[in-house]
Amino acid sequence: MVKHSQSNETREQGKWGDAPTYNRVILFGGVYSNYISLEYLLKECQKMDAEAIFCLGDIGGFGPHPNRSYEHLQDTKVTTLAGNYDLSLSQGLDDCGCGYTDPRDNHFAQISYDYTFQNTSQPNKDWLITLPRLIRFRLADLKVLLCHGSPRRTNEFLWDSSSPDHLLHRFLEDSGADVLCFTHTGLKWYRRLTGNRHTVNVGVIGRPENDGTPNVWFTLLEAREQDLKCFFLPLDYNHSRLIDEMKKEHLPSEFIETIQTGWWTTCTEIMPFKERLRGRF
Amino acid sequence: MMATREIPKVAFHDLETLWVQISGTLCNLRCTHCFISCAPDNHDLPMMQTEKIIGYLKEAEQLGVKDIYFTGGEPFLHKDFLSILELTLQKFPASILTNGLLINEDRADKLARIAQHSHYSLEIRVSLDDYEETRNDSVRGLGTYRKVLAAYKRLWERGLLPILAVTEIREYHSPDDSPLNAFEKYVELLGSLGVLRPRIKIIPVLEMGMLPIPDSPRYVTPQMMMGFDHSLLQCSTSRIVADDGIYSCPILVNEEQALIGDSTLSESLVDCDLYHTACTTCYTTGMTCKNY
Repeated sequence: MVKHSQSNETREQGKWGDAPTYNRVILFGGVYSNYISLEYLLKECQKMDAEAIFCLGDIGGFGPHPNRSYEHLQDTKVTTLAGNYDLSLSQGLDDCGCGYTDPRDNHFAQISYDYTFQNTSQPNKDWLITLPRLIRFRLADLKVLLCHGSPRRTNEFLWDSSSPDHLLHRFLEDSGADVLCFTHTGLKWYRRLTGNRHTVNVGVIGRPENDGTPNVWFTLLEAREQDLKCFFLPLDYNHSRLIDEMKKEHLPSEFIETIQTGWWTTCTEIMPFKERLRGRF
Repeated sequence: MMATREIPKVAFHDLETLWVQISGTLCNLRCTHCFISCAPDNHDLPMMQTEKIIGYLKEAEQLGVKDIYFTGGEPFLHKDFLSILELTLQKFPASILTNGLLINEDRADKLARIAQHSHYSLEIRVSLDDYEETRNDSVRGLGTYRKVLAAYKRLWERGLLPILAVTEIREYHSPDDSPLNAFEKYVELLGSLGVLRPRIKIIPVLEMGMLPIPDSPRYVTPQMMMGFDHSLLQCSTSRIVADDGIYSCPILVNEEQALIGDSTLSESLVDCDLYHTACTTCYTTGMTCKNY
């Protein structure tokens, strides 16, 4: 049994010298092959006067026609890092490496991964392998580190109710960052820590937030000197069009139900108690 | 002369999870499959002193540990357990592994209050060993089936979304008549109690403790570890503290070879040996003792 490592090496504090500086950036995670919400987001970004746009990984999975999402990202000025899905696809692995432990979660994850693997072109798999696992930049005077799951592991789940302050402090301390941004769980959250440190789960645009509404979410970060502002922004898109395409591709009805209703129907066992309580299933 | 078996090591990565063997090997049940033979009269590992537990929690905070699991034995036998839990949840998410028998209405109310007041999640995992009463009670003891389900329901009614933890003991005893989908059986059982959002975790049986050691034990070999992601094994990211020290794995608590420290967590953050047949179970089944 050969498995690839999802571990990252982050204890490198000397990497901030060449990092670019911005004041206003847009961040999003988990496209999950929802190229329609991605199209809507990219149009929205044009109106927002952001200096840079970052995708925090997991471009494929769940939705239809994965190549369309890769190609949208390649054609635009989005800077993208690798999620566990992207690592698995690019290395030809047997599963998505999502980090689920429950067989029911893994059942649906495998359906999604097999479809995505079969429908991702080799040039796009070759592109995925070029993506970095970490991205660093400055936002005004603040040092920002981007990763997919956590700085130490690409597929680590950092839920709001499972991430203690002292752990988040340690991630920031180890990397030398003031702001840590990540995704992977599918649920957005922000926490300001002591010492003007910040952690942001930027959410995902591939599927709704398990809140009974079909819209998805992305994040705007602004900073002036040491002052950070974090905005979570809802994105409405033509989810009926996505549903039609998912049906044509014979994707599971459970996935379609999530897009339609906004409630997660699969991969729910990985959620901690507090997050699970907020959903329907 | 017998050839010496080469024992592979698992690389230590980071301490993410701390287990606390809070009640030692003391339990109010004597389950026929218990991997550390816990029982009302098993004092091999005593109750942990409260001060010692608090000391480990402080060190865990300094080390950036992500979550805490309380196990035993039966954690609710510890006189200070609810206070320790409340203190823990101020800093960490926490989980309890319990047989549920001591979760009466009063304790269920207190657990609900503690869970509500914490920013972090409290997971309560209640053990059952079969969806049929007689089969469960033959493993866990007469009358336990009804008491466990009553405790589960109490927690559910208070919005705590408990996890039902089930071993594959039915398959171990009767491999030919095991159900195709055990999850459905437990979903159906909990549904009959009015539990509409069941959480269920199925765990493999470990042939140790109260169960006989297999005739032909299988061990992890160095070849099996080549190219294997060590982080898939919990000993790369977890430790368990007991009254007598720190062990590499919650399954191997009270096993001399797994004892890797006697006072501080920091000294236990080392590569450890995959020497036991239980290591093979972890390796081959992808078992995680954690909730998710």
